[in-house]
Amino acid sequence: MGRVSAFADPEIIKLASEKFIPVTVDDWYQRRRQDAEGRFFIKVANQGPRKGQGGSTRQGIYCLTADGELLAFKNAGNSAEVTREQLNLALAKFKKLPDSRRLPGAVAIESFGKPDANYVRTPPANGLILRVHGRILDKKDGEVCKADCDFPGGDRASRDFLWLTANESKALIPKPELGYSYSLPTAVTKRIARFCLIDNTRGEPEFWKGTDVRKADFSLKVTSVTPEKIEVSLMGKALLADEEDLAVAKRGYDCSLMGRLTYDTAKAKFTRFDAVAVGDHWGATTYTQKGVRPGRTLYGVAFGLPLIERPGDRVSPQAAREWNEYLRPN
Amino acid sequence: MNRLFWLSGFVTFVLMTVLPGIFQRSAIAQGDALAFPIDEAPFQKMLKEIRPKADEDTFDTIPWQISLWNARILAAKEGKPILLWEMDGHPLGCG
Repeated sequence: MGRVSAFADPEIIKLASEKFIPVTVDDWYQRRRQDAEGRFFIKVANQGPRKGQGGSTRQGIYCLTADGELLAFKNAGNSAEVTREQLNLALAKFKKLPDSRRLPGAVAIESFGKPDANYVRTPPANGLILRVHGRILDKKDGEVCKADCDFPGGDRASRDFLWLTANESKALIPKPELGYSYSLPTAVTKRIARFCLIDNTRGEPEFWKGTDVRKADFSLKVTSVTPEKIEVSLMGKALLADEEDLAVAKRGYDCSLMGRLTYDTAKAKFTRFDAVAVGDHWGATTYTQKGVRPGRTLYGVAFGLPLIERPGDRVSPQAAREWNEYLRPN
Repeated sequence: MNRLFWLSGFVTFVLMTVLPGIFQRSAIAQGDALAFPIDEAPFQKMLKEIRPKADEDTFDTIPWQISLWNARILAAKEGKPILLWEMDGHPLGCG
């Protein structure tokens, strides 16, 4: 929930961007990984109050040196005042270090070795990365618009990613034939339904189970062909519910999906992948109850290509913690 | 006793049948009007409504690295300290 954190504060943004090397990670992976990065992190974290007893969380904001000294730590990501104070304290400490530990090029970083494949996720080679945003919606004068929420930040867009493997991406490439129809690969359909069509605007929800997918049918159709590009429409419907009988289902999402894709034949890649799912959502899970709107209300999910090449767009999808299930959802 | 029995039965009947029916009708009305496909302009508007606004995700303007090891290498090269934001659920991709 970075959108309502101290990192939205203009002074902190400036400090973080100019005076530090900013890095952000998912503690679920970081505290578990058994490789050079994992060991380095534990060495730093153990200098602070978060010892991770019993494998517990080590989340917080750490300021550290490249050679592994903890300069400051707080777990107060929602307080701009505390975070600003912490960053300034760390900078003051850093300035007092000898030249041999702080000047550019002074510290030598050892070689990394082998990454822990169990807890390192990298986008599939030659696959496709899509940004996924969800938002609670409303209707005003017949037009869809953003809705209000009692939960802090609950009215803002959520963020996640969708990864497709090389084979799955290849299966999306259209034939240059007007009207040609084809379906999304089954694994992609299930991945979208179970892991993307969720309301994650008020925290981490539980993902849909395979049995919750009552309907998920997405198909593609070529709508235009030129020597340079092929335009494709994506249409479909999905019904997710924790009970077969919708009258008693405590949580559900009944939505329609529409998308417009452009495949650039010269570049051999999709240059447009815009899609929206919109429909009625109801209910919440254990950690997302606060601020949930009563009854069935409009909820939307938007898919799109990353805007620019940057590390932040290579963050793994939230559901990818269970990697095998992510790749082959039931 | 007999009247109380019938009264409680009537209230239960109303709660279990009539009210959910009203609720369902009002709810279905929300999504019903969204019949896809739609033209490019309303499609773009819908995407815009859902995606983050320009001023919504300012924390994302920070040039975040996503590997602590890469951050170490950059910090050593540039002579800067590291700022590590560690959260259960990735801050850039978790809700």
